[in-house]
Amino acid sequence: MSASHVEGKLPHEPEKATLEGRNKVLGFWLFLGGETVLFGTLFSAFLALRHQVLDGNPTSQELFKLSTVAIATLILLVSSLTSVFAIQAMHKNQVKAMLNWLIVTVILGFGFLGLEIYEFYEYVHEGHKFSTSAFSTSFYTLVGFHGAHVAFGVLWITGLIIQIATKKGLTVVTAPKVYVAGMYWHFIDVVWVFIFTVVYLMGKVG
Amino acid sequence: MANQHSTTEEQGKRHRHEGPQKHIVAFIFSIVLTVIAFALVAAGEINESFIYIMLLAMAVLQVFIQMSFWMHMKDRGHLFAIVAILFGVFVVLTIVVMAEFWTWW
Repeated sequence: MSASHVEGKLPHEPEKATLEGRNKVLGFWLFLGGETVLFGTLFSAFLALRHQVLDGNPTSQELFKLSTVAIATLILLVSSLTSVFAIQAMHKNQVKAMLNWLIVTVILGFGFLGLEIYEFYEYVHEGHKFSTSAFSTSFYTLVGFHGAHVAFGVLWITGLIIQIATKKGLTVVTAPKVYVAGMYWHFIDVVWVFIFTVVYLMGKVG
Repeated sequence: MANQHSTTEEQGKRHRHEGPQKHIVAFIFSIVLTVIAFALVAAGEINESFIYIMLLAMAVLQVFIQMSFWMHMKDRGHLFAIVAILFGVFVVLTIVVMAEFWTWW
């Protein structure tokens, strides 16, 4: 394996070993600050429009099923934990364990996406289309944007797994990439916490 | 180069690697907070504004735990991270309050 010759020679926290790595992490935090604003605007649009439903079109109380949302929440929460394990394995220089945890994370990410696609499919069949009401438009924009972030994260981490497993191995160049992808994945989970709270649970209350 | 590497390695050993325990504790806390939030809504028949406040409190607490431990925001050298996220939160609070309380005046 190309990774084996690196084994034992990496510093304690390889993502912070070089200035470039530290800058990458810092830059990513600034990006996450911007992402917070992006999702905040979508949340504010949803909050303003969530009661704007015409007579006869489904409301949030009729539409949402808490069981589906609970499963999606559990999947994403567990995947966040497995990506923590991946970073911890990276800190111990266990490349194989790191890759395995990343693979588990990606599989859970696909599970979440499948559930969300199924959920949207059901909603459309119940007459809740993108253009049905201001509520449906703001709902699909907010939740769909989060889903798109999950899809991007899944592709990103898959790319990293392929690059590290087949070509580069774990180095001070690839370690910051994995660390930053882990941050991104946690951020997606953090956004989901507010989505299941504000969109689904509050939508169920009224 | 070789010397540099060995010194960083020794430092790494002295610091010792953090175990998974506190991350698992953070996970359990997240699960508990999530279950409480879902149970509150599933139970129903409770004062609406009380549920809203409780739900928001659970979400904020869970996000705080996850960002502190999983995203290492509580660790040293994360001042700019805190500044970036707080700036985002400040903007978000402004527009959310605007949307929630002024749009349909």
